[in-house]
Order: sequence, then structure tokens, then C-alpha cells
Amino acid sequence: MADGMRRYAGVAAATVVLVAGLALDVAVAGGGTVTALGGELRADALSAFMLTVVGAVGLTATWSGMGARSDPPPSTSYAALVVLFLGAMSLGVLADNLGVLWVAVEATTIATAFLVGHHRSRRALEAAWKYVVLGSVGVAIAFFGIVLLYAATRSAGAATLSWATLSSTQPDLDPSLVRLAAALTILGFATKAGLAPMHSWLPDAHSQAPAPVSGLMSGVLLSVAFYAILRVQAIAAPVIGTGMMRGMLATAGLLSLGVATLLLIAQRDLKRMLAYSSVEHMGVLALAAAVGGTLAIAAALLHVLGHGLAKASAFVASGWILETEGTTRLEDLRLLFRRRPGVAVPFLVAMTALLGLPPFSLFFSEVAIVVAGVQRGMTWVMAGAVLLLLGAFAALARQVASIAFGAADGDPGPPPDWSAPGRRFPLGVALGVTAVAAFVAGPFADLLTDAAGVLGAAAG
Amino acid sequence: MPESTYTQLVELSAALLLLCAVLIVWRRSLGAQIRLLAVQGWALAGLVAVLGVHEDSVELVSVAVLVAVLKGVVLPRVLSRTTAADRAAAREETPLINTTASLLAVSFLTMLAYLVSRPVLVLGSTPAVAAVPVGVAMTLLGFLVLSTRRHAVSQLIGFLLLDNGIATVAFLTAGGVPLVVELGVSLDVLLVVLILQVLTSRIRTEFGDADLDDMTELHD
Amino acid sequence: MSASAAVFSLSQVLVVVALSPLVIGLMRTVRARLEGRVGGGVLQPWRDLRKLLRKEPLVADGRSWWAVAGPLLLMSSSLAVCALTPLLGTVTFDRLPDDLFVVVSVLLLGTVAVALVGLDAGTAFGGMGSSRHMTISALVEPTVLLSVYALSIPVGSSVLSEIVEARLDDPATVLSPVSLLALLALTIAVVAETGRLPVDNPATHLELTMIHEAMVLESSGRDLAWLELGSWLRLGALMGLVSTLLVPWGVASELSVVGLLVAILALAAKLAVAATVLAAVEVALAKVRLFRVPELMAGSFVLAFLAVTASYLVVQG
Repeated sequence: MADGMRRYAGVAAATVVLVAGLALDVAVAGGGTVTALGGELRADALSAFMLTVVGAVGLTATWSGMGARSDPPPSTSYAALVVLFLGAMSLGVLADNLGVLWVAVEATTIATAFLVGHHRSRRALEAAWKYVVLGSVGVAIAFFGIVLLYAATRSAGAATLSWATLSSTQPDLDPSLVRLAAALTILGFATKAGLAPMHSWLPDAHSQAPAPVSGLMSGVLLSVAFYAILRVQAIAAPVIGTGMMRGMLATAGLLSLGVATLLLIAQRDLKRMLAYSSVEHMGVLALAAAVGGTLAIAAALLHVLGHGLAKASAFVASGWILETEGTTRLEDLRLLFRRRPGVAVPFLVAMTALLGLPPFSLFFSEVAIVVAGVQRGMTWVMAGAVLLLLGAFAALARQVASIAFGAADGDPGPPPDWSAPGRRFPLGVALGVTAVAAFVAGPFADLLTDAAGVLGAAAG
Repeated sequence: MPESTYTQLVELSAALLLLCAVLIVWRRSLGAQIRLLAVQGWALAGLVAVLGVHEDSVELVSVAVLVAVLKGVVLPRVLSRTTAADRAAAREETPLINTTASLLAVSFLTMLAYLVSRPVLVLGSTPAVAAVPVGVAMTLLGFLVLSTRRHAVSQLIGFLLLDNGIATVAFLTAGGVPLVVELGVSLDVLLVVLILQVLTSRIRTEFGDADLDDMTELHD
Repeated sequence: MSASAAVFSLSQVLVVVALSPLVIGLMRTVRARLEGRVGGGVLQPWRDLRKLLRKEPLVADGRSWWAVAGPLLLMSSSLAVCALTPLLGTVTFDRLPDDLFVVVSVLLLGTVAVALVGLDAGTAFGGMGSSRHMTISALVEPTVLLSVYALSIPVGSSVLSEIVEARLDDPATVLSPVSLLALLALTIAVVAETGRLPVDNPATHLELTMIHEAMVLESSGRDLAWLELGSWLRLGALMGLVSTLLVPWGVASELSVVGLLVAILALAAKLAVAATVLAAVEVALAKVRLFRVPELMAGSFVLAFLAVTASYLVVQG
């Protein structure tokens, strides 16, 4: 019984979150909101969408990350920490109070700290240390910004950190103070989102953590940090305009793309490659936030979903590769497609999605972001972004190709192994959703537009 | 409380907070730094209590007690337990920049803090707001310690100094943040320190000592 | 105005000359008692001076006229400092204000004089002592300047008497954080400048640890008497300055017999207390290694710097 609980706790929690997210999606259709706990928890279209993302990515990572039934179940602390992680993320997107959002993001640092250092090797400890210290410092800076924001609201007579109050009443806040507050808060959450130049913890942490945890962190944690940036941007924009924040986010976005491209070129480790790909995609999201406006934000949200699902799948598949091959060094994984198509195929499909190839939704969301950027006058920035994206594409494709193609040695070797040490069904579903998401019209698109609209007049 | 006494008490606590921060950068012994952190925690609690009495807020006074317990007692005790296992290396012998340079950096950072805090001064000309640069300076000094020390516990001390600085600014500008957030933040800080303590002991077991310069295996 | 200023200056010189050896004697006695010894008594420095003054100075071959002139210059600068600093009264000459920069420059004259005496001897220890002495002085001067400057900002003038008068008028400034920080920095600077522990051990007989003693190693007789008395006067005057800044009460604002007597008694009391405290702290401290002295000086510099920035902000509001 206890074994079963430990084994399925993560999946159960993720399912609950996903179901709640879908229910809320329906409930807030048309621009409504759902509140609970006297307004402390508030679900508008954006929160509902993010909750769905948390649930979907969480379910993908936990379900497919479950070992075979014959494997021993995970330890109690591992299961508890995963559940805590999902709970904190859900609280973060549903909280009305910016301070509670901050507490939730910090709580995930705490929850994942031991998960990152789970393997207790020298490298895992190094990664865990860097992750906790850099993450906490970044979050502390964000807290500093929130404190200043609170002070600004207090001096304007309406002391509050509630998103609902701030966006509806738009009190008369002092611009210079809000500018400082917004800059610090965005800087802090950008550290947590893995944007350059504060990204250095990301490759270490994501490469050393167990694969499902990396998937959760890349897919969920980075997305919720990005969500926090969007919320803060929306609050600050009516007071200080979009200029400074646009500059900050565009710089961070281009820097992230640049750093990711550079470090993908000569990358030797599979999981670090995936981590830098996360940095790249967060750069794309930062650019979308810089652009602002309904098209860009809706595309960003679609990108969040697509990236989350694809990245989680890729990480889980990389975990299987580690388990079956015993290594994550790329040069040892050549022609894996021939030897073990069972694990290589899911990995390659996920990588195709991450490369931004159609029909996967990431292609469409990236295109939409560039189009929106050009529409709103950031042509040069978008040009730079496209160049860097192509560079990253080339670097990543080269690495992926070495796994899939290449001249055989001539020696046929053992027959191809179609098995996989985990469940491929949830992976298939996740990647399938990513494939069709861009084509699904109707309620899904409306949800995205509503969510972008929540950030509303502020975004543009 | 008469206005002049209030002003003096606020100034005195702010000065004590800054002095502790400077001495933490100055001193090399980890034990001394931890004691200074404890004193700083008590000074911060005193500041919050003065603010609470001045504004007749029971909530603030109870937060002062929380701060005193957490930052003045619990966190230093956790830190000393971490260093207790490390008798030989309980001194920071090789910081990345030597003490004289660190102290000159302190002067520079304090000036920077005053410059950066100018937008905050629009909040009014109360003695509390006038002391905000002290909080910003403490934050910057925390950054300095965090980034120029090699010993794991020194980085922890820098992080706590950073956190104290932010808390000081929070209390001076806004009388703190809503109670719920304050509790959450305190809990988070405590948990982070506990985590880092556990990580430190694991690092010590794996690497033999807690010198972070040995941890350079992960790179591109 | 200038008559009363002259009376005050003269009395300051006489009183400090009389009291400084007693201050040194008191410090040695306190140290001795705390260390479990009896000590030579409070009047021993006077007895040493009397002995030295009666002896003929022995000057080595190759020494120049500086062996005689240097000690005299040190004495003059120390006497000038005693005359200028507002120890007994805040009345000053019109043409010669006791401005901060004037006092520091005069102190520096004495510093350089002693250093040159050490170099003049041509011995290795003398040169070593001089170089160490100048290193420390170079680090100490900015701190002294900054800390008194911090105290002068609220007053708007760097004239020491005006600073003391302002502190007399408004006792609250004495206990303000700016003032305490500045005085802490000034104390550390004074300890370094006058060669007390933890920077220099005046009772050491190990030449390699000497700073001040190394410079006077080759002097004897009258020259040594002037050198010793000169440095004692510096210590007395600087300690008097710090105590007056910390506890301004007792300083007379205008000339009167009663006021002058009260001021003398107050100064004696302040010096006695300061001497006892300093001696007690010295017993507890170990001498800081020479390469760590810059750290100590940098720390006191930072404190003084913080005091200056803080006092600017307090003034701006």
C-alpha cells in the first residue's frame, strides 16, 4: 500500500492539477474569473491556462518517468518533494497576491533542491549548491522588488499586493519607485527562469537531476517564473510604460539565444544540451514578453505549453537513454536510432518538436512571435532573434543527426531494440498534443486570446 | 513615543545594522561572523519593534519577536552547528579579494547604495525612509560576501546578510509586508538555510572540506 | 579676544606637558596591576625624563645635525598641537584658527621629524622603524581627516573649536550614530598614530617588532628626552581631543578663573579615564601582525567614510 502510494503519488497529484486546470478552463471561458478563499485564490483565463500547463507537463513527466512495475518505488522523500513541487506551482499560478506567488516560487526552489542533489555524487552536489544559492539570490532580488512595489502602493494610499486590485483600480503609483521595483522583480524572476546572464545554474541543475525532475523543472518551473514576469510587467506598464521592461526583456532574450546557440555548438553532454535548449526557448519567451500585445502573448502561451510538453518528453527519453546506455555523452550515442529505436524514437520526435519544425506547435508559436515583433516595430531585434534561432537550430540539429543518421560501420551488430524502460504512452500523447495544438481552433484559441487579454490594456 | 526619541532610535538601529554588516566583511573568522549576524538579527528586531511602537501596531511588534527568534537565535545556531564540524577550516583564509580591497569595496558599495536609493526617498521624509540606504547597503554587502568567498558557510552568511538587508528595506519602507507573506518568507529563509546546511555536510563528506573552489567539475 | 586665546593656549601647553607623562605613567601602572606586577609608579616617566635631561647625548659618527634638530622639531610640533586643539577652551586666535587641516599638518611635521631621526642614524633598525612608521602614517592620515570631517559637516566648519562648541550646545549630536562611528574610527587612527597596541607595542624589546622604538634606538640623553616627551605630548593631546569630542562638558567657552580651573580638572579626569580604558584594552589585545595593519586601517577608513556619507544624508534630510 505504502509502496503504491509512493509510486503513484506524483502521477496522482499531476492528474488532480490537470483536471482542475481543465475545469477552470471551461469555467473562465469568455473572460470570467473564479475565486476561492475570499479572493486569495483567483483564477482568470491566464491562471487557468497555466494550471493546465502545470498539470499536463507534470503528468507527462511523472507518468512516463515511472519505472516498470518491477522496479523499486521511489523513496518517500522523493515522492513527497514531487507532490510539494506540483502543489507549490499550482498555488503560485492561482494566488492573487504577488507575495504568495513569490513564496510559491521560492518553495519550489526548496522542493527541488534535494531532488537535484538526489544522486549525491560530487557533480550533483555541486549542481544543487549552485542551484540553491543562485536561485535564492535571484528570488531574493525579486522579493526586494515586490517590497518596493508594496511600498509604492502604500504611499499611494492603497497598500496591496493583490493583482486583482492593482489591475482594476490602477492606483497612482510613483513612477521612479515602480521603475526600480519592476526592474528588480523582473531581474529576480528572470534568474529563476534561466534567462542569460543569470542562467549558469540551469545547465548544471538540469543535467544532474533525475530525468523526470529535469522535465518538471524545465517544463513547469521555468514557465511559472515566466508567468510571474508577465504579471509584474502588466502591473508596472500602466505606471511606467513599456519602454524599460521591453529593453530589459529583449536584451535578456537575445542574450539567452546567443548564449544557448554558442554553447550548443560544441556541446558534449545530452542533458546539458537539453538544458541549453531550455535557455534558448526561454529567450524566445522573453522576446515575446518584450514585444507585448495579444498576438505575441498568445503565441508565448502556446509556446509555453508546447515547450513544456516537448521538453518533458525529451528529458524523460534522455533518462531512458541514460538507463539503457549508461552514458549521456553524445559521442557514445551515435546511431542510437539503429541500436535502440525504442528509446531513440521518442527522443528524436521530441527533439524535432524542440527544433521548431512543423507540424509541432513550437514552429507556429515562434513564427507568430516574430511576426508580432515586426508588426510592433521591433524589426531589428526580431532579425537578430531569427538569426540566432537558425544558429541554434543548426547546432541542435547537428547533434541530433549524429544520434539518428550517419554511415553505419558496415557491421550490422545486434538487432534493433524496440523496448524502453518506461511508459511511452504518455509521451506519445504529449507529443501528439504538441503536434496538433497549433491546428486546433475554437475553444483552445479563445482560451489563449482570453489569457493574453487578461494582461490586457497593460500589454499594449 | 516622542518624535526625537523615535528618530534617534531608528538612526541608532540603522547604524548598528550597517556596522555589523561592515564588520562581517572585515572579520575573517566564521565564528565571529556568525555572532555578528546574530547581533544584526537582534538589531533588526529592535528596529521593527521601534517602528511597531511608533505606529501602534501589535502586528509589527509580534513580527519583531518573530524576527528576533529567527534571525537572532535560530539561524545563527544552525550556522554554528554547520561550522562546528569544521574546526580546522573555520576561518576564511583565502577570499577571492583580500580584506583591504573588500573594505574599500565596502566604501564604494555604500556610496552606490545611497545613489540607488534616491527613487525610494520619494516615499517621504520620515526618519524611517531616510534610513533605507542602510538596507540597500546591507544587501550590496551581502552580494559582496556571497561572491567573493570560497567557504560554503561564508556564502551562506553572505546570503543571510543579503536577506537581512532586504528585510530592513521592507520594514523601513512599508512597515513590512502583509503578515502572511512575512511568515512565508521567514519560513523560506529558514528552509533554505537548513537545506544549504545539509548540502554543506554532504559536500564535506564527498569533497573532504567545504571549499567551493574544489567544485569545478561542471562546466562547458 | 587674542589675550584670552593666548591664556588658553598657554595653559593648555602647560597642563598637557604636566599631565602627559602622568598619563603614560598611569597607563603603565594599570597595565602592570592588571598583569599582576607592581609597576614603577605613576611618576616614573617624570623621573625618566629628569634622568635623561641631565645626561649628555652620545651621538654616533656620521650622524648629522638632524640628531639634535629632529627631536626639537618633534617637541615644537607637539607643543603646537597642544596649543591649538581645544582641550581647555574653545577660544582661538583670529589669525591662527585651530582648523582641522592645520592640526593634522602640524602632527604630520612631527611624524616626519621622527621618521627622519630614525633614518639619520643609518642603522638597519632605524630605517626599518621609519619605513613602518611612514606606512602607518600614510594610512592613518586619511582616516583622521575623514573622521573629524564627518563631525564637521553638521557644523559647517572644520575649525575644531567650533565643532566642540556645537557639540556643547547640542548634546544630542554627541550620541548620534554618525558621531559614534566617526569617533570609533578616530580612536583606531589615534591608536595607530601614537604607536599603541594593537599596532605597536611600546614596551617591546624585540627590535624586529618595533616601530616607534626602533626609530629612537640610537638617540640618548637630551635628544631622547625630547623625543619621548614629544611623543607623549602627541598621545596626550590626541587622547584629549578624542575625549573632548566625546564628552565636551567642562570645556570653557570664555575666559574666567573658575572656568579655567574647571576645565583643567575636567581634562585631567577625562585623560585619566581614557588612559585607564586604553591600558585595560591593551592588556587584552595582542599586537596585530604588520601585514594585517593595513586591514585595520582600511577598516577604520571605511568607518570614517560611512560616517561622512551618513552625516551628509542627515544634513540633506
